[in-house]
Amino acid sequence: MIENFRIGFRDISKSFGSNRVLEQTAISIASHDCIVITGNNGAGKTTLLRIIAGLEKPGHCEISLDDASPEPWRRLRKRLLKSVMYLHQQPYMFAGSLLRNIEYAARLNPALADRESSVQKAISWAGLDGLESQSAASLSGGQKQRVALTRARLCHPQILLLDEPTANLDSESRERTLQMLREFRDSGTAIVIVTHDPGVFSDLATSKLHLQDHRIQADDIGAADVVELDSVRQSKKR
Amino acid sequence: MDVLLTSTAEAFRLLFSGNPEIWEIVGISFRVSSMAILAAVPPALVIAFTLAYGSFPGRRFLISLFNTFLSVPAVVIGLTLFIILSRQGPMGDFKLLFTQTAMGLGQFFLCLPILVCMAHVSLQAADRAAWETARTLGANRLRAFFTVLYEIRFGLMAALLAGYGRIISEVGASMMLGGNIAHYTRNIPTAIALETSKGAFAEGIALGIVLLFLAFVLNSLLQYVQGKGSINP
Repeated sequence: MIENFRIGFRDISKSFGSNRVLEQTAISIASHDCIVITGNNGAGKTTLLRIIAGLEKPGHCEISLDDASPEPWRRLRKRLLKSVMYLHQQPYMFAGSLLRNIEYAARLNPALADRESSVQKAISWAGLDGLESQSAASLSGGQKQRVALTRARLCHPQILLLDEPTANLDSESRERTLQMLREFRDSGTAIVIVTHDPGVFSDLATSKLHLQDHRIQADDIGAADVVELDSVRQSKKR
Repeated sequence: MDVLLTSTAEAFRLLFSGNPEIWEIVGISFRVSSMAILAAVPPALVIAFTLAYGSFPGRRFLISLFNTFLSVPAVVIGLTLFIILSRQGPMGDFKLLFTQTAMGLGQFFLCLPILVCMAHVSLQAADRAAWETARTLGANRLRAFFTVLYEIRFGLMAALLAGYGRIISEVGASMMLGGNIAHYTRNIPTAIALETSKGAFAEGIALGIVLLFLAFVLNSLLQYVQGKGSINP
């Protein structure tokens, strides 16, 4: 189980050259959350996820952990890289077998007591038994998605960010992915999903946000998030 | 034609009779070039990685500069280092001129741009998601760096072989910096130049055969490595 936490990203701004993508927006993420973010193409959804993951340097961003005072993104970047995991729309598979891909993640988590049995358990959890020696590059899209989620399971991230996780998946793979995400959420991991098809996650989502005009707009948002977002906007106005 | 045939026959006889002088020259060549490329690989990888993944002012200029260095003649590198290492030069006190170290330095600067440019191209062609996946899984920078290098290992092997092929066969810098001293700085290409000028074609051809054989082995290795990285299963 993941311990309860709340992390607030505020005053997020990002431009690519003269193209402004995000402007003084904010998002608050807590354990057990499943936040679904929608928005048009180019609205900045992926950029937002990458900033939260510590992979994309923002123009400006402040982060507050639990009730601590806000700190600049740059100062907390290492911590983000350790505790937040970003899954690409098409998960990257390292060269070699499926087993090598999963063992890679296991080796990066020193907290794993028995690495070998943890890897086997995770493979069974994902229903990937029997595919251990298969080349990861030759796996189907759904299987790659499960490998990525298996790697995430072995790393125990506090926040799991997914970029269009069910795009191009058949209904069976989609159901399996949703079931795996549900288990992540129930164990305390916060999930943030960027999608064009929010209906798929309606049973899983605890709040829905919409990214428009460079800002996150509350769509069907949880009460806590409304308060958080409103207070951020109020403080900016002041 | 007769000269060529008799010289070639004599060259094979020299090679297979284990002529110590010939094999000593081959040994010097391999030792100096191997040390030079081993020394060049780590900085080349770091530079290539910085150029491919870094974002800093002057990045494009540096890429152009390294691409330009690809076409710098060996004698120009030899001349530059000769001035630097000569007694009046800024590194004259180290007394490196006409030593194997000086030859190695020349070869280092010859293969560095090849390694940087080819590794940089491989890194740029690689999926950036490899680096990001490693980082988001919790790998530190160094670990993620080696992960990405493994992903582009076929391109790196090609760079290594191309760099080695370039320096083992170059004559200009080795001649100027090593001085072609017998039993010390005389390597295959400088020996071929010397033997040819003396009219001793057999020795020159024997050494040329070694170079040709090496080129064949390097190219075969390259074909094998690239075949392994083929997109066809």
